[in-house]
Amino acid sequence: MKQKEDNILFVGIDLGTSRSSICASSGAKEWIESYVGWPKDFISLKVVGRPVLFGSEALQNRLSLELCRPLEHGIIKEGIDRSEEAVREIIKYLVEISRPAAEQKIYAVVGVPADTLKTNKLAIRRAVSEFVHSLMVVSDPFAVAYGMNLLNNALVIDIGAGTTDFCIMHGAIPTEEDQKTILTAGDYIDNQLYSYLNEKFPNSKFNKNMVRQFKEQYSFVGKSSGEIRVELPVDGKPVIHDITNEIKRACESILPAIIETSTEMIARFDPEFQVKIKGNIVLAGGGSLIRGIAAHIQEALKVIGSCTVVSVDDPLYAGSFGALKLAQDMPVKYWESL
Amino acid sequence: MISMIFRKRKHRLKESILRGVFEENLKILGKPPFRISERMPLSAKKISLSFLVILLFILGHGNSLNLPLFQEKQTIASSSTKNYFQAPEIPFALYDNSANLSDAKAFLKIPGVPLSRTFGLSVKTVMIDPGHGGSQNGTIGKMGTKEKDITLDIAKRLKMRLDKYGRYNVIMTRENDVTLPLNKRVALAQSYKADMFVSIHVNYLPSRPTNIIETYYFGSPSDDTTLKLAERENADSQYRLSDFRKIIEKIGNTLKYQESKKLAASIQKSLFSNISKEDGNVQNKGIKTAPFLVLLGVDVPAVLAEVSCLSNSKEEMKLNNETHRENIAHYLEKGILDYLNKGEASYEAKRR
Ligand SMILES: [Zn+2]
Repeated sequence: MKQKEDNILFVGIDLGTSRSSICASSGAKEWIESYVGWPKDFISLKVVGRPVLFGSEALQNRLSLELCRPLEHGIIKEGIDRSEEAVREIIKYLVEISRPAAEQKIYAVVGVPADTLKTNKLAIRRAVSEFVHSLMVVSDPFAVAYGMNLLNNALVIDIGAGTTDFCIMHGAIPTEEDQKTILTAGDYIDNQLYSYLNEKFPNSKFNKNMVRQFKEQYSFVGKSSGEIRVELPVDGKPVIHDITNEIKRACESILPAIIETSTEMIARFDPEFQVKIKGNIVLAGGGSLIRGIAAHIQEALKVIGSCTVVSVDDPLYAGSFGALKLAQDMPVKYWESL
Repeated sequence: MISMIFRKRKHRLKESILRGVFEENLKILGKPPFRISERMPLSAKKISLSFLVILLFILGHGNSLNLPLFQEKQTIASSSTKNYFQAPEIPFALYDNSANLSDAKAFLKIPGVPLSRTFGLSVKTVMIDPGHGGSQNGTIGKMGTKEKDITLDIAKRLKMRLDKYGRYNVIMTRENDVTLPLNKRVALAQSYKADMFVSIHVNYLPSRPTNIIETYYFGSPSDDTTLKLAERENADSQYRLSDFRKIIEKIGNTLKYQESKKLAASIQKSLFSNISKEDGNVQNKGIKTAPFLVLLGVDVPAVLAEVSCLSNSKEEMKLNNETHRENIAHYLEKGILDYLNKGEASYEAKRR
């Protein structure tokens, strides 16, 4: 049996709207921003020097590239025809990073946002299966829960870029009723922050990308731990602005919907089980990195009784780690039947 | 000892979850479940034994766990046996009882206002209605693809396409996977003063392995099959066809009726002529009348398009492909614009 496992490389992949990551049984671990760019023409190809670019590198060269961010809201706004190709490129890149040996079989579990899974599972399977020998697709919040051994009595809130996914674990693979998706997530914060900053500094020039970086660097809810000052160009000259309040307002704008949905989902269960879930609420995804968010949600949920809300240790890899764990635990006979 | 029992329990829990993941993926591939059991009878026995143990455990803790393990399977079973010949037995209003039949009159009110504002240049607000949603799955394909997810996806794409013109205020009755009763959809169209209403659905023909495209506007059922379809699509409401049979008779040849017919024809033409280029076997069922509730309540040109067919496995696979859904959205867009442009042309002609 051991012999057999040596010939298999297990990989867990988290295919996210904003970031994708891989964890492999070889110990390899990597993440990229979920952007794929192809040179627009042969001149661009000369400029960037490669047929396909990923993540931040693709973003930096955006002017020379046809850029695609697949899975955005489960729908691709631009470059629709290339989204499946983009998924394929991301998977190919990540699998190569995991360095499979030539004779090794690759068994992969891929976690995708719950909403994307509904209409794209086949497309995702198709895009991935080229690079692996056997494949299972699961919803991302479920992968996170499995990775944390939260198989029963738990609520996972996965705050991603396009969507926030809720998943209640009650000792079985979650059904549709146990999962819910709302659109208030990271991108929503970006949009709010962008409009607040536009309002406050009408003469400054900034784009959505800068705004996203501000959020990633400074995001917080509740009490601030000091002023947040950033440089924004005004009439071409850099000027320091205080954006503490705008950051706070934008980050807190996603909370009401998250709290309401959590309350609703927990309320569906009978009181005994409710108590158990309330003691086991886990925040995952990029949004769990917002400073103070777990404490804030825990406080807000007090109205339905005492709750324990924690953030995962490593949101970047929580999904791919859980997917890897699923892959390794999965009986070989299942892999062989797919 | 207790910790050992606990560990064992957890182990079994894990086993059942892993099996669940495997079976879901089998379903995505359209493979029949339990293939494993044919190949490995012994381990299958072991699995079913542990399943039984877990089931007993769950039954013992039924209250705290709320949902049985086999829920997923029940869904599959009911979907595979589901066809629209059973639909009339579906109780009305599984979830929303806020409206009752005394509201029916107000709800079914026939517009007395002239529909002139629906002509030509004045068309501004287009309401797109993705069929079903939330607890109402609509039809379900063999691989588990749900009508409600497909209709929402196509609707979003159609909205994006129409938004690009900057000329139309495009509103969706739902933007998420939420349960939305038919009367609420109608109320939305009224409160937004929609000028046009397009409901998107996916068909299911259990007995025929074909793909058909058909577009409906409100009226008496064209035939028996249409009646059954209307009963199925109306199942989310509290009304029965008999409740508004008289209204069907009265609606006759109003302006809304004529305009809806034109809109339906335009959409059907675009959908069929384009889809038949890729799929030579698709059948053109043309435009038909049927007493769909959503179409009745709306005061403006309103149609219901059955854009594809989930009972057809090939078609289900295609619907899981983004490009195909985008194409359907494109053809719907074309159909709507053709109708609007014709309206504009006749408006211009009248002005001159
Ligand atoms: Zn339908």
